[in-house]
Amino acid sequence: MPVLADVSFEVERNTSLTLVGPSGSGKSTLLRCLNRLEEPTQGSVRMDTRDIKELDPLQLRRRAALVLQTPVLFEGSVADNLQTQPASAHVDLSQPRLARALTDVGLDPDFLDRDGTTLSGGEKQRVTIARALLGDPEALLLDEPTAALDPPNAALVVDTIAALRQSHGLTIVVVTHQPELIRRLGGCVLYLVGGRVQANECMDGIAHEPTDRRVRAFLDGQRPRAAR
Amino acid sequence: MMASAGVIDLSLWQLGLAVLLVGVVIVISAREALGLERDLVVGAVRTIVQLYLVGFILASVFAAGRWYWVVLLLIAMTLVATQAAVARLKKPIPGGYEIAATAITVSTAITLAWVIGVVVRVRPWYEPQYAIPIAGMILGNAMTSAALAGDRLQSDLRARTDEVEALLALGFSGRDAVQPMVRSAVRAAMIPTVSGMMTVGLVQLPGMMTGQILAGASPLLAIEYQIVVVFMLAVATSLASLLFVRLAVGRYLTPAHQLRRYLL
Repeated sequence: MPVLADVSFEVERNTSLTLVGPSGSGKSTLLRCLNRLEEPTQGSVRMDTRDIKELDPLQLRRRAALVLQTPVLFEGSVADNLQTQPASAHVDLSQPRLARALTDVGLDPDFLDRDGTTLSGGEKQRVTIARALLGDPEALLLDEPTAALDPPNAALVVDTIAALRQSHGLTIVVVTHQPELIRRLGGCVLYLVGGRVQANECMDGIAHEPTDRRVRAFLDGQRPRAAR
Repeated sequence: MMASAGVIDLSLWQLGLAVLLVGVVIVISAREALGLERDLVVGAVRTIVQLYLVGFILASVFAAGRWYWVVLLLIAMTLVATQAAVARLKKPIPGGYEIAATAITVSTAITLAWVIGVVVRVRPWYEPQYAIPIAGMILGNAMTSAALAGDRLQSDLRARTDEVEALLALGFSGRDAVQPMVRSAVRAAMIPTVSGMMTVGLVQLPGMMTGQILAGASPLLAIEYQIVVVFMLAVATSLASLLFVRLAVGRYLTPAHQLRRYLL
């Protein structure tokens, strides 16, 4: 029983795609296929027309940085965490650069000296986003970035992601259940049920409302009915 | 009666008196409703049968004094140790048998060669009186540390999957991403040996040393051998656990630096 079947889509550079659908519909798996944390048994993923299997997986993961659902901070300060970068990536780890990475995600540079364990869930998640941004990725892949957070913290992370999309010209692919994040990001929505694409709709402009009733129902916070 | 080497020989009826000790344990178990009577009887019988069997095998290998019998026995002991190490893993590791066999054989071979050939300078090298008990001690410790390290590696990888994947997602290689788990697994396997070094002789006399003293060796010679043994077991446990973990961790990673989560 494949997790995903007949899934085909494109994400334009500097646009965003939101993956929505009920739990277990294959959203996270699909996201993990995009940077080869997971290997599709069939089909291919292309980046700039090249099959990602032809790319060095470590370089691919720096170009398309994935932020996991549960923020993982390693032992030590926020600065230590931001500096957790592969040596081969030659990331600029100077103090001003680290401070800027924090500002980019809406955190004060004073956070650099804070111990990772003293941070709130939302702060942790923003530090992991900052850590991913330090590698100057072209795309940011986010796996339910607000799922582990309470509403105020979730709102802050939504603000951060929406702002980054504008300021960094990032391509963003995000798995989320947060209608607010989808509205703020705009772009396209891919609605998955049981590993199959039920709807793929692009919204021109943030105010635009989707026409597909299942996507609309989802955005309205209703539980979408499974398609027949 | 006194044997010529200064050890009191034991007759069968004296062994019978020792069996009475097990009788005491069985009575205690029955009176306190511990429910261990059956296991005690089976255990006592197995103790006698297994040890006699080993005794006869060792006696004939000693009497023959041929290198190939010694090597054959060492191979058999290694196979048993491998089997036991794999059986001790709480959850099977893919390719666990080959990994355990490699880790135990290599660590034992290196340690045994150094101790027999360089330190003690046993001539001929296969002298069963030295080769077999020394190999036995090394194998026993290598086996335990390999299993300990393997268990710890698995439970750490399972508990810290997110951490590994966070590192992979940042572009770390698979090897770098699992390095913290490799380190803690080897540490966990070595800690009993290292803490044993701190108290050796103070709390309890080590078994080998006790045996030598019972067999009539001077305590000073016995402790000298014990020092060799402690250091030899330290290197054997570290080599066995490190090799096991290094080989095992590779099974959880793909060439494309992915974690095989379904194996955990």
